[in-house]
Amino acid sequence: MEIKILFTILISTIFINNYVLSRILGLCPYLGVSKKLDSAIGMGLAVIFVMTMASFFTFIIYKFVLIPFHIEYLRTIAFIIVIASLVQLVEMVIEKISPALYQALGIFLPLITTNCAVLGVAVLNIESGFITQEFGLLNSVVQGFGAGVGFTLALLLMAGIRERLEIAMVPENLKGLPITFITAGLMAMAFLGFSGMKIF
Amino acid sequence: MDYFKEFFKGVWQKNPILVLGIGMCPTLAVTTSASNAIWMTIATTFVLLGSNILVSAIRTIVPSHVRIPIFITIIASFVIIVELTLKAFQPDVYKALGIFIPLIVVNCIILGRAEEFASKNSVLSSILDALGMGLGFGLTLFILATIREVLGANKLFGYVLIPGMKPAILMILAPGAFFTLGLLLWAMNVIKSRKALFKRTE
Amino acid sequence: MKPADIVKATIIISVIGFISAFSLSFMKKITQEPIAKQEQEKKLAALALVLPGYTVQQEKTVTIDDSPFTYWIATKEENRIVKKAWAFLAEKKGYGGPVQSIVGVDESNTILGFTILSQNETPGLGARCVEVASNETFVDHFITKNLTSKEEVSWFQEQFIGLNASKPIAIHKKGDWHKEMKDELIQHNAVTAITGATITTKAVTQSIEEGIQKLHKALTLQEVQ
Repeated sequence: MEIKILFTILISTIFINNYVLSRILGLCPYLGVSKKLDSAIGMGLAVIFVMTMASFFTFIIYKFVLIPFHIEYLRTIAFIIVIASLVQLVEMVIEKISPALYQALGIFLPLITTNCAVLGVAVLNIESGFITQEFGLLNSVVQGFGAGVGFTLALLLMAGIRERLEIAMVPENLKGLPITFITAGLMAMAFLGFSGMKIF
Repeated sequence: MDYFKEFFKGVWQKNPILVLGIGMCPTLAVTTSASNAIWMTIATTFVLLGSNILVSAIRTIVPSHVRIPIFITIIASFVIIVELTLKAFQPDVYKALGIFIPLIVVNCIILGRAEEFASKNSVLSSILDALGMGLGFGLTLFILATIREVLGANKLFGYVLIPGMKPAILMILAPGAFFTLGLLLWAMNVIKSRKALFKRTE
Repeated sequence: MKPADIVKATIIISVIGFISAFSLSFMKKITQEPIAKQEQEKKLAALALVLPGYTVQQEKTVTIDDSPFTYWIATKEENRIVKKAWAFLAEKKGYGGPVQSIVGVDESNTILGFTILSQNETPGLGARCVEVASNETFVDHFITKNLTSKEEVSWFQEQFIGLNASKPIAIHKKGDWHKEMKDELIQHNAVTAITGATITTKAVTQSIEEGIQKLHKALTLQEVQ
């Protein structure tokens, strides 16, 4: 039964309610990093990690600190601090492990902090009512993971298309952001096909 | 000190969404109706104003290497103030804007202006900058929202426009958001290149 | 970094933290009452909607099947006989989270009223369960000032009125609900699903079926006491 729920969460966060193409979150880095496939992959993995960990820590803090002390209204500030710290951690780790990737990601790595999708998934975990559910923490972590995977999927698809757009004959005024947005719109339309999908 | 320029640049020259390319997240998701767009602008401008004022006021005593956490704390505090105020006095708006109210804290515009402008300029300039940016943000949002609401729901401010006509629901959904913004950016580019063309032929 | 710098940074961060904490607690204090009042008003409005003509006497929360269950007892006087009705909170996970609603039933388990309190469904699809067919046009409101005072009701929620809650509620797929469908749907004790949002519809019907069973259990508990 729980496996069913987890599977539903994964399918819905990756395809049906894709965070970029359906919920329209995480746009800033999406537009900034999707120019090349390699940096897109690196960014995607970093985001998956941050989202999963963020879901874990924010859930625990909400359940065991904010609720018992009746300070749920401080959720925004607590969550963003957790996320900022996690991103700092990921930055240090990537700098040590792969300086090349660190250079490639550049400014966009610390920008994961302001990625609406990360704070978004943390808040959505709470709004989905996981707090009172049996496997709440597990569901939240899986939702965070799924959201990250969905984001990465959209990112990779966009990067692949953008690399080809570079050499395509795009009218002068459409070059750059306009054609990117229209492409994203077409992708979002394609993903609309997933909505209303019956899973079980 | 050209006060008018400081204020106005946020509307056209340095329009946060159309020129600087920041603050896109709430833009696309919140422009499903004109009234949502207006309320979001009010909320965001309030936070932007507050954070710009405070950041500018303490800019001389803030040590550089801890400035980002401090900025985020200030911004997040203002966002919570907005959250609580809306929840108490405008519950319908609170429900309509949903998760995008807490997401104001990660709106690149606010952190971006704090980092780039408020931390290096006087309080008065920062106030003008915030108001100008807010206005530019609001106008863009309003234009997008009007287009989407009219085409996608056949309504404006919640009131039906042409009775009996079935609207293009796609405009209200995610793809419509992307298309509208893409076409708006295209329009901006066309205007800019026409202007450049005229300048060259003068 | 010199020790002096670290101390200075720490002091500044702490001061800002304190100021922030104080101002936020202050905000919380002044908004607490309006927020609580809102929720109370919302609840009363929902109860009035699902129990038309009845007066709510009591609110009870009991534990059924290891989870809290809230219901209200209401009465009204008709031809000198006191008739009873109940309202209960129904909740079930839809697509994007729990869909919460209040259902009002009378003594014969017929649904008197139904209203959705909160939902997190997909806009344009599942979220249409709270969609109100507002017919007031822009021109009417601002220009000709021809204000219609029509009560705005959601078609999805309205179609539940008159159904028998204790029997399974079937789901038909006939597109948006029109008044003409009413007789046929009531005959089959069915509702028509929101196009493309069968999951949301099912969550709602299941929450009603489960809710009524819990209500019966709670009422037997009540009688025993």
